[in-house]
Amino acid sequence: MSLSTTLYNTFFRRNSIFVGSIFAGAFVFGIGFDSGVTAFYDRWNKGKQWKDIRHKYVEAAEEE
Amino acid sequence: MALNGLKKAVTLTPSVCTLPSGVPAAPLINLAVRAPADPHAHGHSGPRADVAPRWSGGVSRTSSGLVSKSYITLPSTTPFTARFMHTSVAVKSAPEVPDFSHYRANDNDSNRALSYFMVGSLGLISASVAKSTVTEFLKTMSASADVLALAKVEIDLSSIPEGKNVVIKWRGKPVFIRHRTQAEIDEARETKWQSLRDPESDEQRVKKPEWLIMLGVCTHLGCVPIGESGDYGGWFCPCHGSHYDISGRARKGPAPLNLEIPAYDFNDAEGKVIIG
Repeated sequence: MSLSTTLYNTFFRRNSIFVGSIFAGAFVFGIGFDSGVTAFYDRWNKGKQWKDIRHKYVEAAEEE
Repeated sequence: MALNGLKKAVTLTPSVCTLPSGVPAAPLINLAVRAPADPHAHGHSGPRADVAPRWSGGVSRTSSGLVSKSYITLPSTTPFTARFMHTSVAVKSAPEVPDFSHYRANDNDSNRALSYFMVGSLGLISASVAKSTVTEFLKTMSASADVLALAKVEIDLSSIPEGKNVVIKWRGKPVFIRHRTQAEIDEARETKWQSLRDPESDEQRVKKPEWLIMLGVCTHLGCVPIGESGDYGGWFCPCHGSHYDISGRARKGPAPLNLEIPAYDFNDAEGKVIIG
């Protein structure tokens, strides 16, 4: 049995499974997309965000 | 006339020749052949053959006795009479259909799987877009971080003596802070709270037994109750006469619920409470 037949029999044959896997996939895709974009944003702005430079100022304030 | 006859003979099919008398002769034609069986005819190819139809005559009963009639000018039994011999040009072969095999899919299964996969992918992306549209729209209604930061109130607890009430304003609403005495704590703990209108134990309502912190808004219609009054030594709402006990629980009157507890935290190092 080829890959396409297996795929069809597993996901597409029953509409309930088809729609259910679409919603489950949308949930997983949303989480993955969010974390991916956030990781990219943090890497792109490395050293510019408050969480990257916070240790400089917070430690200085505690020393005073 | 002879020329015309010759021309007509030319258009005949090769299987037909003409006798010297002018009668067309087709020696190899099977005259008994019929149209192939029609799948929609359900085995019937016309009216019943074993019974004479009524219009052909038959026996009928009249006043003078039985009369048998038979009509000789019969209508045709079928609207269509097949021509077993014709003079049109014989069809040489079936009409030529282009060869589509080059355009046909090699594997129907993979084509089907790919089609469903594309439909499913579109559905997945649409569902994600719809979900994020709704959630982002709802996020615009919630308070932003700076508003939430301003919406916290810090109270120095050391300035409140034991057995006193303090009313402060938090997010536009009054908040009661009661520094309870040990006797009041015992009274609140020993109450049979299971039978109250809104059953809640005192342990559920306070984080530290000596500090009772709750919203000063009557759960009936939103008046501000008066402290250290009422039948149960707690609060009394002057609008419609709801009584609350020393734990802020509704005990008498129209109030349906206990006084609401806001979210708060103690800062033990500085002796403060942060409401919000």
